Amino acid sequence: MEKAVDVRDVVKIFNKNFRALDGVSLEIESGSIFALLGPNGAGKTTLMRILTTQIGPSSGHAYVFGLDTVKEGSQVRKLISYVPQEMSVWTDISGYENLLIYSKIYGIPKEERNNIINGVLESMGLHDVSNRLVKTYSGGMIRRLEIACALLVRPKILFLDEPTIGLDPSARKVVWEKLKMFKKDYGTTIFFNTHYMDEAEIYSDLIAIINRGKIVTIGTSEELKHSVGGEILHFILSENGLHEDVLRELEGIEGIKDVVVSNSDVTFVVNDAEMILPHIMTFFNKKNIFVRRVSITKPTLDDVFLKYAGTRIDVSGRLSEVTHVRRMIRRG
Amino acid sequence: MLKDFFRTFSSMIELEFRRLKHDRTEIYSRAVQPILWLAVYGPIMGSIRAIPTGNIPYTDFITPGVLIQSTTFISIFYGLTIVWERESGILKKLLVTPAPRYATVIGRAMASGIRAIFQTFIIILVALIIGVKFILNPFYFVLALVIIFFSSGGFAAISILVASFMKTRERFMGIGQALTMPLFFASNALYPVTMMPKALQYFATINPMSYVVDAVRSLIISGDLTNLWLDIVAIAIFNIIMFTLASVNFKKIIE
Repeated sequence: MEKAVDVRDVVKIFNKNFRALDGVSLEIESGSIFALLGPNGAGKTTLMRILTTQIGPSSGHAYVFGLDTVKEGSQVRKLISYVPQEMSVWTDISGYENLLIYSKIYGIPKEERNNIINGVLESMGLHDVSNRLVKTYSGGMIRRLEIACALLVRPKILFLDEPTIGLDPSARKVVWEKLKMFKKDYGTTIFFNTHYMDEAEIYSDLIAIINRGKIVTIGTSEELKHSVGGEILHFILSENGLHEDVLRELEGIEGIKDVVVSNSDVTFVVNDAEMILPHIMTFFNKKNIFVRRVSITKPTLDDVFLKYAGTRIDVSGRLSEVTHVRRMIRRG
Repeated sequence: MLKDFFRTFSSMIELEFRRLKHDRTEIYSRAVQPILWLAVYGPIMGSIRAIPTGNIPYTDFITPGVLIQSTTFISIFYGLTIVWERESGILKKLLVTPAPRYATVIGRAMASGIRAIFQTFIIILVALIIGVKFILNPFYFVLALVIIFFSSGGFAAISILVASFMKTRERFMGIGQALTMPLFFASNALYPVTMMPKALQYFATINPMSYVVDAVRSLIISGDLTNLWLDIVAIAIFNIIMFTLASVNFKKIIE
């Protein structure tokens, strides 16, 4: 199957010494949702700008549906839509007018224009406010309008740079519900940058973690979390301690990596807690050991990030900064 | 190719119309200064008869000059919109559409001409009230409007070019001022070029504003069309150069 995105050894150097991207390679299947997760300054936006043909790589190649983003830029631009991180609609005209201007720029035929515009307005939940000036919109509405603009042409791939930055949780949820619906209807590939771990985890099929211009790991959220070292199953038993033989037998169960016993607490390190739990329960039953309490602890993407990037993603500072910028621009 | 160009071009023009439909404050507030030139400066300077303007009253003489100064200011400060769009993500998004980049640049530049035409109507109305006598030839008048519209695009292209270097509003404002005033004073807007020191006269001959003022003056005030073709050719060359430079540099604006 044709790759939606194929990046090979891309390096981008700004001002002759800053390596924003330091040898990035990446392949994304068509029709999937891909999240590029990383902290501020990791190179997420730079990679997206290369893929959307805004800038060229210093070395290496990037392909979108097999088309070179440098040599075949104008072909690429016909297949993609892009929502930049910054606000990208005109605030001094109405939402409908924004869509109308973009539909004309995209060359949507006159007789289809109205239908398509109403369609995206409807699907982004903006129909009732479409004739209001954009400067009266809330942040979430502006974001949805921006996405609506990007959906006018039914792109083969949609690039979203921090799609929900500065939005409150309920607005974020609405934005993603609409995006998922659109993807279901049209099979659009979605490539998004984010520093929200939950967003990457809930909505994407594949996650790559980027730090300091390098992709440090890539996989599904489950794979990534497993790679941290496994899940923890914690039992509290009604009696103190386990017999040496019992312990040995336990260690023999497949999938158990480690067992630690301390008084009535027994802690297992396992690959897949849900899979192994019934086995352990059956085992304890057979041995007439009564279990009072069980808990499962799973690694989070934050642990994954910590393992591969060596730091945690710091969200707070960045978020307020961007919200501030967006507000400033709106006042503009 | 040509179809893509016109599609983008007309979208940009339409955008400007729609913006003006919602908010015309800028047009009105920018009309204050030219009105002062016409209503105060014109009659006072005219009364001392120090400037040889042939048999044309002084206020009538400077009306095209003040008009073009005002439309040029609008065009040059139009670059501010581009700087704002650079700070926001609009330019990035436009560059990622299939629209040809030079069409985006020329379309945006010419869109300033829409504002210029609005401004023209206001100033002509004020000039009529003051008592300026215009040549009553609809064909000449329309041609003057076309020249104003077209040349505004050239001046706006200068500002887009400047905007691709000056990436903040403050710096842009400074450069904008530094550009517009010399263009205005070293032109034939307020006095005939022959009155200037030799050095300035040379500058005036390469100053695009002189040609625009001369063309518009000949069409709406003096009726002397001897230099009209020269003016039109000069304006066309100026526009082509500016459109080319601005288009070539436009990619820089988002880097």
